[in-house]
Amino acid sequence: MGASIGTGDKKSVNVELNIVPFIDLMSCLTAFLLVTAVWVNIAQINIQPKGKTRDQSQVQEENEHVTLSILVQSDKIWVGLSRVNEFQEIAKKGDDQDWDKLETTLKEHKASAFFADRSDLEIAAESTVAAPVKYQDIIHAMDLAVKVGFIDVGLSDPQGLAARPSL
Amino acid sequence: MAVHSAGARLYASVKFKHLVKGASGSGGGGRASNIALNLTPFVDMMTILVCFLLMVFSSTGQLLEAQKGLDLPIAQARETLQQAPVIIVTKSEITYQGNLVATVESVLRDDSPTFKIDALFERLDAAAKRIKEDVALGRQPKDLIKACEEAKSNARPAPGKICPDGLAILQADEGTDARLINKIVNTAKAAGFDNLLFAVKNK
Repeated sequence: MGASIGTGDKKSVNVELNIVPFIDLMSCLTAFLLVTAVWVNIAQINIQPKGKTRDQSQVQEENEHVTLSILVQSDKIWVGLSRVNEFQEIAKKGDDQDWDKLETTLKEHKASAFFADRSDLEIAAESTVAAPVKYQDIIHAMDLAVKVGFIDVGLSDPQGLAARPSL
Repeated sequence: MAVHSAGARLYASVKFKHLVKGASGSGGGGRASNIALNLTPFVDMMTILVCFLLMVFSSTGQLLEAQKGLDLPIAQARETLQQAPVIIVTKSEITYQGNLVATVESVLRDDSPTFKIDALFERLDAAAKRIKEDVALGRQPKDLIKACEEAKSNARPAPGKICPDGLAILQADEGTDARLINKIVNTAKAAGFDNLLFAVKNK
């Protein structure tokens, strides 16, 4: 059967387990798991297209609430409040955007009276041939917004932001 | 038929003394030929490997496939993806459900006032109508139909249970120009896709 006494000697207490079926099972399981393994974990960021668009045939909705808007540019990020028309400029730090400052700013807004019970915000990226904005920057800004508590992220056209700084 | 004497045999004619001597199962006898391999490290390694693979095993499967010229952006978001039409933007081309729609270069060169990608709009529009019909006729899983009913009352959907009506996945390369993303989002919105899932890699 599975185990056998090592020698015929009465004093011997060695027991040899037959591990061949165990190794067979392990080999099959390893091969199966290696084939079916998912090495890259892909997640999602859920967004709703928001704001006015450049297409004039589409319905343009107006929002009577104060909206928190983030405008990502190649060299800075603007955080603005519509109706209040308050803007904050976050300049680039070295080669990368100042994500820490953006996170702090968003936390402050989330704690303010306007957004304490709200979780919506809109993001736009203004990219040009001369000053391109990468998709990774948009995702980073969205990710920070979700992390801070603005889970209803809307992606808007830069022309259609509720709070757009006059550049 | 002639009978020949046996030829050279392993361990009889060919001694391999160096193996037999060192082997633990030899028993010390001159003619013993059993060689016991020490399988313990092998079994240890297999056990650890199986444990690791079981831990990373995903029963939900992979919805998205790797593409050449596509490095997804990195984020901390942990929500899992769900099945939906996929728009893929690689470094050079835009595809919808695996079919080429346009090249990145041509879309960036196009200054259309509608700010839409026409070829993509046609496909998305047809898909949106088909999905809407499927939802109306109940040809979707029951939990997703229920999610659609709940969405009418503005209830927040559970992760992975978003109403398929107006839902699409955007899988774009991290270096994609934001102008292209704006155009795709605008096109999707015009076609009726009001809910986009941006595929990201976990940190």
